[in-house]
Amino acid sequence: MSAPLLLVEGVLKSYGPRLILDIDKLELYAGESYVITGDNGVGKSTLLRILCGLEKAQVRTYEFEGKLVSIENFPPELRREIIYVHQQPYLFKTSIDGNIAYGLKARGIPRLQREALVKEAMEWAGVANLDHVPPQKLSGGEKQRIALARAKVLNPKLFLLDEPTANLDAEARRQTVQLIQRMSLDNNCVLIACHDYELINLPRMRRMTLSDCRLALQAATEPRRRTV
Amino acid sequence: MDLLEPTREAFYLLFTGDAELWRIISISLRVSLTAMLVVSPVAIAAGFILATVPFTGRRTLVILIQGLLSSPTVVVGLLLYLLLSRQGPFGEWHLLFTQKAMMIGQAIIALPVLVAFTLSAVQGADPRAHETALSLGAGTARAALTTLLEVRFGVMAAVFNAFGRVFSEIGCSLMVGGNIAGLTRNIPTAIALETSKGGFAEGIALGFVLLATAFGVNYALAFLQGEGGLK
Repeated sequence: MSAPLLLVEGVLKSYGPRLILDIDKLELYAGESYVITGDNGVGKSTLLRILCGLEKAQVRTYEFEGKLVSIENFPPELRREIIYVHQQPYLFKTSIDGNIAYGLKARGIPRLQREALVKEAMEWAGVANLDHVPPQKLSGGEKQRIALARAKVLNPKLFLLDEPTANLDAEARRQTVQLIQRMSLDNNCVLIACHDYELINLPRMRRMTLSDCRLALQAATEPRRRTV
Repeated sequence: MDLLEPTREAFYLLFTGDAELWRIISISLRVSLTAMLVVSPVAIAAGFILATVPFTGRRTLVILIQGLLSSPTVVVGLLLYLLLSRQGPFGEWHLLFTQKAMMIGQAIIALPVLVAFTLSAVQGADPRAHETALSLGAGTARAALTTLLEVRFGVMAAVFNAFGRVFSEIGCSLMVGGNIAGLTRNIPTAIALETSKGGFAEGIALGFVLLATAFGVNYALAFLQGEGGLK
């Protein structure tokens, strides 16, 4: 069996005296999709934020692609491999293509290549027609799709999606689920925190539940797809 | 007092290109814009750091800076005068009664305004902006710049406010500039002088220019604010 993309052991997180997370082990493999379910306020978002270095926590082991990483000083190169998408994504006050190009610019991708990648990502997310609409005028579903395109264009190894279908109407939800399904078909790893049954029941989705600060892996509905 | 005649004369002076008048205007603009250009990047960065980085004594520093918003410009002028005068610690630099001294004074006056308003703008920023930038792979500097751009309306308000304060201040300019004709005489010091001499036309003309220039500079800067912060 190949090494996990991400191996995290001994996660402890408290807010004051209140313990939020006490996780023994979490393993994520490339090419797999995972969903974490659990009641509101149980710490799903907190876990995702810890994994991408946005939230501090006590973590015994954090290994990415077999390499031990200090989560205290989250390495910038790891930020390029793991992308977190907020439940209600934030779009920068610039154009839509400016938003999608943001991470590419940060990576120093030349303009021509950047433009081609942005165009491709906009078509992938079905937002090419929204080109000239200011981001603040977009609907929740459109914002979500743009945020997914903005993450997808960077081709990270791990996507962390926080309740991507919450607060969306039926049609927007359907489109978002479709995009996530396509994301998880590539050899990326997708970890989603959500309550959405449609997402939870996607084929090959591996389920975890978070309750009483602990994470439990449930049996997969289908045989696990081996990659690598 | 008849105001009509001096006002008519004021417009005549302005539009006939009175050399002395235009010299005063150019000194004012040169001093204030240079001071702003030098101090703004430093002060905006300081405001950002103060809003985002926890450190010991941060709260005291915030209180100090907010308190300095009310510092009278004559006190800044007085302190600077003492520092730059021949017997002062920086006397050998021979800066007293020069435009450079006025620029230093105005930069000091603008500093707390810029820091306090940037601090407030960044504190009001949506925390997801900074997190999104980081998560998309931006380094510390790029993420900071992104956050500042997201709150550019507030940051530009800081710049407008500071410019307004330094462009119209008289106390410091008078003390460290000395109101030397053609060298350190700017609009506010000239207005005070002309009025005391009874030269109301020049005073009104300069007052009009002060307002018009302030509007002009603010109008130019407003382009950087985007769509006027309309929600």
